[in-house]
Amino acid sequence: MSRLPEQPGERIHRHKLISFTFDGKKVEAYEGDTVGSALYAAGQRTFSRSFKYHRRRGLLCCAGQCPNCIVAVDGAPGARACVEPVREGMRVEHLNAKPSLEFDVMRATDLAGGPFTPPGFYYKTFIKPRRLWPLYENVLRNAAGLGKLRERQADREWRTEYRRRHADILVVGGGAAGLSAASAAAELGADVVLVDDGVEPGGRGLLDGAERTRLAGLTAEARAAGVEILSGASALGYFDGLVPVWQGDTLHQVRARRHVFATGTIEQPLVFAGNDLPGVMLAGGARRLASLYSVLPGHRAVLATTSDRGLRSAIALRELGVQIVAVADLRPNPGPVADTVRALGIEVLAGHTVIEASGRKQVAGAVLAPVGHRGNGQSGERAFGCDLVLVSGGAMPATSLLLQAGAQTRYDEAIGHFMIESVPDGIYAAGEVAGAESAEHIEHSGALAGLRAAHVLGLGDERSREREQQTEARIAEAAQRLPGVAVPEPVSGAGRGKCFACLCEDVTSKDVSLSIDEGYDSIELAKRYTTVTMGPCQGRMCQVPSVRLMAQETGQSLAAVGTTTARPPWVSVPMGVLGGRPYEPAKRSAIHGRHRELRANVKWAGDWRRAYDYGDPEGEALAVHQAAGLIDVSTLGKLLVRGPHAGEFLDRLYPNRFANLAPGRIRYGVISSDAGRIVDDGTICRVDEDTFYVTTTSSGAGAVEEWFSWWLADWGLDVHLTDVTQGLAAVNLAGPRAREILSRLTDLDCGGEGFKYLDAKQAAVAGVECLILRIGFVGELGYEIHFPSAHGEHVWDALIAAGEEFGIRPFGLEPQRILRLQKMHILIGQDTDSESTPFGAAMPWIVKLDKEEDFIGKWALEHYAKETPAVSLVGFTTANGHVPTEGAVVVDAGGAPAGLITSARRSPVLNQVIGLAWVPSQLAAEGTTITISDEGQTFSAQIQTRPFYDPDGEVLRS
Amino acid sequence: MSLDFLTTAPVADGAGPANQSDPVARSPMERCAQAVGARFEVRSGWNVAAGYTSREHEMDLSTTAVGWADVSHLGKLELQASPEAMRTIVADAAGGASPELGRATRAGYVWWLPLTPSRTLVVCEAADAPGLKRRLTEAASDSPGHASVADVTSVFAALTLVGPLAREVFARFCAIDLRPAVTPVGGLRPGSIARQPGLIVREEENRFLFLFGWAVGEYMWAVVADAARHLGGGPIGLDALSSHPQPSAEPSRA
Amino acid sequence: MSFLLTCPNCGVREVTDFGFGGEISARPAPHPSFRELNTYNYFRRNTAGVQREWWFHRSGCRAWFIAERNTSTHEVLFTALPGEAEGAGGPGAGPDAGPGAGSEPTGADPGAAI
Repeated sequence: MSRLPEQPGERIHRHKLISFTFDGKKVEAYEGDTVGSALYAAGQRTFSRSFKYHRRRGLLCCAGQCPNCIVAVDGAPGARACVEPVREGMRVEHLNAKPSLEFDVMRATDLAGGPFTPPGFYYKTFIKPRRLWPLYENVLRNAAGLGKLRERQADREWRTEYRRRHADILVVGGGAAGLSAASAAAELGADVVLVDDGVEPGGRGLLDGAERTRLAGLTAEARAAGVEILSGASALGYFDGLVPVWQGDTLHQVRARRHVFATGTIEQPLVFAGNDLPGVMLAGGARRLASLYSVLPGHRAVLATTSDRGLRSAIALRELGVQIVAVADLRPNPGPVADTVRALGIEVLAGHTVIEASGRKQVAGAVLAPVGHRGNGQSGERAFGCDLVLVSGGAMPATSLLLQAGAQTRYDEAIGHFMIESVPDGIYAAGEVAGAESAEHIEHSGALAGLRAAHVLGLGDERSREREQQTEARIAEAAQRLPGVAVPEPVSGAGRGKCFACLCEDVTSKDVSLSIDEGYDSIELAKRYTTVTMGPCQGRMCQVPSVRLMAQETGQSLAAVGTTTARPPWVSVPMGVLGGRPYEPAKRSAIHGRHRELRANVKWAGDWRRAYDYGDPEGEALAVHQAAGLIDVSTLGKLLVRGPHAGEFLDRLYPNRFANLAPGRIRYGVISSDAGRIVDDGTICRVDEDTFYVTTTSSGAGAVEEWFSWWLADWGLDVHLTDVTQGLAAVNLAGPRAREILSRLTDLDCGGEGFKYLDAKQAAVAGVECLILRIGFVGELGYEIHFPSAHGEHVWDALIAAGEEFGIRPFGLEPQRILRLQKMHILIGQDTDSESTPFGAAMPWIVKLDKEEDFIGKWALEHYAKETPAVSLVGFTTANGHVPTEGAVVVDAGGAPAGLITSARRSPVLNQVIGLAWVPSQLAAEGTTITISDEGQTFSAQIQTRPFYDPDGEVLRS
Repeated sequence: MSLDFLTTAPVADGAGPANQSDPVARSPMERCAQAVGARFEVRSGWNVAAGYTSREHEMDLSTTAVGWADVSHLGKLELQASPEAMRTIVADAAGGASPELGRATRAGYVWWLPLTPSRTLVVCEAADAPGLKRRLTEAASDSPGHASVADVTSVFAALTLVGPLAREVFARFCAIDLRPAVTPVGGLRPGSIARQPGLIVREEENRFLFLFGWAVGEYMWAVVADAARHLGGGPIGLDALSSHPQPSAEPSRA
Repeated sequence: MSFLLTCPNCGVREVTDFGFGGEISARPAPHPSFRELNTYNYFRRNTAGVQREWWFHRSGCRAWFIAERNTSTHEVLFTALPGEAEGAGGPGAGPDAGPGAGSEPTGADPGAAI
């Protein structure tokens, strides 16, 4: 582990040794190291193999921006070694190389594949023969990509905390601008959250010894003002004011009223031959490695820069022991900082840039040449031996979050970047991202944003408003742009080897040109075709280079080419972090515990967990016919409709009549939409003159309540709705012995005369006041008993106990479907769809077009009543015992689809296959033979239009 | 017929476990509480979790971190009337109080929770529910226009979260802004909580009443327990809950 | 889409708290022609800009209300209970502005705010 002498501001703690493994080998590190700094100190230069060509890639940005050092940590791919803190015993592995990082067989794609692997090559090359695609796909998937997820994950790898944080102001970016903004606002009483991706706030300034003290002071001020600082945290995107912030194992969902973005700039790479070779580093990256982790990035370096930023890095690196062999400064007249460099005895080549980095496994030399150099070694080319090529291609404002928040950018000719032109209300840009350059300007622009945001929220006083004005004036003074930025050529050194515009996806300058030749000549199209900007760097390293290439190739201005739409996530984030809490909102009946004890087969039914059966659906169905069964129907929607206009209200909502329903009586109803389509069904019981008890389907409960209250909001009738779905448990006791069983638990006269079919009674059952509805739910004598959920198990237990001697069995949803199908009761959503009308569904009797009230759907049903429906819902039986799949088709004489099977079951009591189907109305007559085509099999069935079981309802009324 | 089938059966109190044949009312979270060692007692007809470990430990938990208590037994009544009639009825029954949207009004140990101008939820001690229902029904029958009083006790399950981290627990699964400046004591906040309709009443600085659907009881217990445990919290019984400062009969209005 | 909406009863909430009822459109006069009826049921203005629409506070007070919203920017200009919206200008949500608009009960999940 070779390190520089101890220096102030370094992040490592030399007295604390930590070890971890990289590809199984032990690596020593200090606490405070990143995986990247420790590996680099240990001599590692290749960190990954590239996406497509499997080229060696080494540290480039050392700031978590580029894709070059992505590794797997403890089996989870996607970590960036250069910012991933070391932990004792962590297991780090390389990605995308086989068998090893040093020897990767897929390297052949680079050596041989160049011309054969242009953008979209997999569509072009592997298209024929079609049947071999699965094989190709397998090979391609193994060859490309950024790591592998384990196929089965027994448990979630980590726990993510989701934390909602409301704030007055969110500041993104913890540099001088962000800290100043946060302090200024918090001092006026604003509740401020500051998000910063560094280990500590301070931003880029932390690299500079002189700046460190000032930044520490700003951080202390912010803390003292009450700012909540989230360090090591990344804002992932901007969603209408909601900003998810990922911080280790926590995802903060920050909802602030105002947003300050002080996201800084991103140092840009240059595009030249071999620009991806390990040893080619952003000047700032090399400086981070040296200043923060005391790791010498190289011994002999060549710098290619377009501004003072690179020169300053070179000066700093020289002080730390890197020999600067030569500097290529793109500017013809580089200015005073270049003079400082020259004064150090370093040769500065003005108007020059780098055109090639050479070397086999890592950089061994670099070629510098004058701007616009197109030749091959004759005019002014200079070759240098070096192990490090430092590049600094200008500072791109990190505008992505601002753009997501609605800001507009404009191309600035002078500095060659897209700068913020306007921001929407409530959004503030501060610091370098807003174009500030000097330290003073950066700090003032932060303070101004903080003051403005706080003032808009009604905070502050005369003094603070005065400060706002003073700050504005100071900015005007400080805002003179620092001299000297040159706009680099799109590509230098073409013809000497691959020049990468995009490192994530291995897109070369040639690929971009090719895509334009093929017609993908807008930046958004080229992005989709070449996948440039779509990789893990999210455009940080490739957006501007690709726009420059596009402009050059198409002869357009950069402003005309524009940028691709900024989209979240701005930072790579594990899917697991976005996955949400591992809890599914499940509704359970108050009797659910009993179903579990009975080992019921529990499945989802809408948002409820329900007992489908208790292991023997046919036996359970037979018990209902032979003795008695008990089913939990607590999931039914239950609505109280009360008020003097309750009857009129229902008459307007249902096609049939309810105002004339006598108290204590029950009627079936179907709800239709304004288009005359069936929406839901259920029974309605009149409790008293002013009160109706409406039941709905289980899945329709919420929607029907919404539907009712919607129309009520419009009609303004004197009606009150109360949804008591979850407040009442309900069971259906059915079967020939049901009367005897119920009589054991209540004083109520349950006799056929005293308690008729479609009567409703209120009585105590097992000591609990219940509403008892005598309805034909499953086709046998039956009572549906409704009672408070708090007594769910008590009443269930009492009924099971009372029924024991009669042979009662609990039955589930599946036997219920068999039983109801025997009676041809339709199941809304299963036997009907958004096209079904009551006429087609064989329920014309329920539509009372002569009703005085206009009801919802009447106008449509008046039209439909004039014609025979094209298709009709009918029953069928099959002769061969085959139960057709639900969804099988009914075919016409020519074999073309003409209808649909919606329900089919074997009926144990009838020993017959029964079902429901939509068929052309001319085939709907009793006894017609239809042909069913089901997964390759064809068989015939007979139409039946009356219920399969007890067609005259004698059993039901008994 | 009446709407008595909405109301739980009366059962005599007893210190021990419930008699098998009595129709004791049970919370949808009873099994969850049982699984973590709750000690049950029948109070006002309900099988309630009186305690878990010890009152001292539960007090400690809920004064330093957060405790949650199942209070599903609380009586809940829903009152609906025209906005004008609503004001009259509530003023009558709540001793002159005039509830406003977004605020819970405490009067005579009863929470008046106006959800809309024409719909108010009333939450009271289980023992007080029958009397309050009678009073409200009388007041409703005297009012002009139709007014509806419905017992919705078992429509809503309920938890009380108490402790300095109670707000942080909600922040784990709820987007409602519960900062004291936005939701002061007495604040009433209906909304999506853990992806389900619910409502929160800030009873005290660090004490929240949380109502949600009866059928999602098990789910909500799991969600709250997961979030609260991670913050060092745990379940507390009614005995420990009653040792905490109670919402006063008439909190001062903010 | 994660803008905020102010429920007239409950206050500001995430949009995921609410159900969307679609643009407000006037119901046709009684016994419309088949064409009028189908226009009402199936055709939408689909405004890119400001429109009046129905919202339902599904996870809160479960009341319907009216919002005026810019569909391009998600800016919500106002929200009001039915009958209180007229004063805000624009097409009223009066008695002839029925909620139906060819909509059907949606039964959508409550919001997914975590």
